[in-house]
Amino acid sequence: MKTLIAIKEQYHTWVHEAFPAMHPLLLPLCNKPFIEYLIDFAILAGSREVRLLSDGQLTEVEEHCGTGSRWGIELSYANLHPADDQQQLLDKNRKFCGGGRTMILTGYNFISYNKQKSYLDLATIATDTPIASCPGGTITLKGPPESGASEKSPLAPFSITPLDSVQSYFRISMETLQTGSSRYVLPGYGSEPDCSIGKNVIISKTAQIRKPVSIGDNVQILPKTIIGPSAIIGSNVVIDNGCSVSGSIIIDNTYIGENLEIDMRIAAGNTLIDPTSGVSLTMEDPHLLVGIKTWATTAILKRKTIHALAATILLVLQFIPFILLFPLLKLQGKWKDDPYMQETGLAGALAVAISLDRFPLLLKVITGKLDIIGSSSRSTCAGKHSYPDSGPLSRLAVFSYAEAEDWPVNGSDAAIVERFHAVHSTPIKDIGMTIKALINRLTKGR
Amino acid sequence: MAFRLDTLNGITVGIAELNGRLVAENSTILQKTCSDWQQKTPFLVFDCSNLDFIDSSGLGTIVGCLRKALEKNGDIKLAGLNAKVAMVFELTKAKKLFSIFSNAGEAAASFAASPVSSKTQ
Repeated sequence: MKTLIAIKEQYHTWVHEAFPAMHPLLLPLCNKPFIEYLIDFAILAGSREVRLLSDGQLTEVEEHCGTGSRWGIELSYANLHPADDQQQLLDKNRKFCGGGRTMILTGYNFISYNKQKSYLDLATIATDTPIASCPGGTITLKGPPESGASEKSPLAPFSITPLDSVQSYFRISMETLQTGSSRYVLPGYGSEPDCSIGKNVIISKTAQIRKPVSIGDNVQILPKTIIGPSAIIGSNVVIDNGCSVSGSIIIDNTYIGENLEIDMRIAAGNTLIDPTSGVSLTMEDPHLLVGIKTWATTAILKRKTIHALAATILLVLQFIPFILLFPLLKLQGKWKDDPYMQETGLAGALAVAISLDRFPLLLKVITGKLDIIGSSSRSTCAGKHSYPDSGPLSRLAVFSYAEAEDWPVNGSDAAIVERFHAVHSTPIKDIGMTIKALINRLTKGR
Repeated sequence: MAFRLDTLNGITVGIAELNGRLVAENSTILQKTCSDWQQKTPFLVFDCSNLDFIDSSGLGTIVGCLRKALEKNGDIKLAGLNAKVAMVFELTKAKKLFSIFSNAGEAAASFAASPVSSKTQ
């Protein structure tokens, strides 16, 4: 049997409004993209060839699903016209269907199935009427029934539910979390039921995880947080100190600020949605709720290159003063292995004013280990802040955004300033901020 | 920000209407104005029915006003929060600090029923 999955854009316009950064077919339900549930069902029904039809862009879906080799099937893609009916879909894909048994899934619907049951008998049922339907679409079998399957065994139950609103999305996600891995093939690992955790997840010792939960990949759960019950945490998410997340969904690439309480909500980037009323709130405070940019390799390379160039120029400018002052400070015992030396005496004060104390760190910018401006490497190394180790929210650097903005470097307000700039900065802005930091140090000292 | 004084059961209650957006740019205005209001009475109602948006600075200002009110054995009660503003109060747990009512009349009447709320004790 082969399967045609036909999803017209008209059925998922709400996804573009609620989650503009997300392709509707890749919308995660319990951390598994929507389209994968349909592919799983097609496989359980015995399909080895699946074609995905849409009247919208499928580039992202193609990048995600590829040729279907990871499922051991052949997955192909094609366009459909918004006005196409089922017969037209069959006619346009006649070569794919080959005149054999074809299952047609139409609409943007969630299929409730059980992976422990067999749906192979769908290939042998002789019917032209839909075997499942809902207001948003149908599952129909076309073509002659196949023979050789166990015709006598009863068909395992399944149903389809329209995914037509934020409300239905939230409800179905939570139901999937409750039934969990017993019914569906879900991502992540778990040594106990109702708890699945993805790769590269850091959970603080003082955090509490209350089942059922599903946690995606690349997640940081910082101290004193409470996750669950009934929490779905997507991938590339940071949950900061003291937060509680229960009965809620945190969509991929989201930062949740300190001491927030998220109950019965959907958080997606800087947007908070009430799934009951559908009301959404776009936060303007990056220290509360913000989207985490997925930093492309080229963007990182560009930033590193510009920072390295700036560091090289600064090294050249500081070279002669460094050669003159370094031996003197070393002899006086004011130059320690810690690059942040004492600001005592004329030589020390001068060295600090022209930022010679950061001279050794500039070499690390050229090797790519540090940025020229970002989070304060001194305070972070001293453990005074609880920044995530990496990612867009915290980049260890020679100079800090707090120095550029003239905030007290070790204050908690400085942490907010640094996070704001870490999220909103560009390489060119970084150079401007570095110059500001240098001027501040020259005019005001540390 | 319109402000009026009502007297209920011998208690003078100040009702302030907050409008539009309460954000970093204008929260200091509320801070200063609230000090003036608190000279007249420590019992205030912030009518938020026309408040469209609040950010963390605005929230911090309202909490600061509450702290000053509590120091004077008064209180600040909130009324008419729309769904978006209510979400900010819930998200930041600030909701637990305030008594919240559906309209300003109910909030003012609650002072008359119990001039010093349980949260101030």
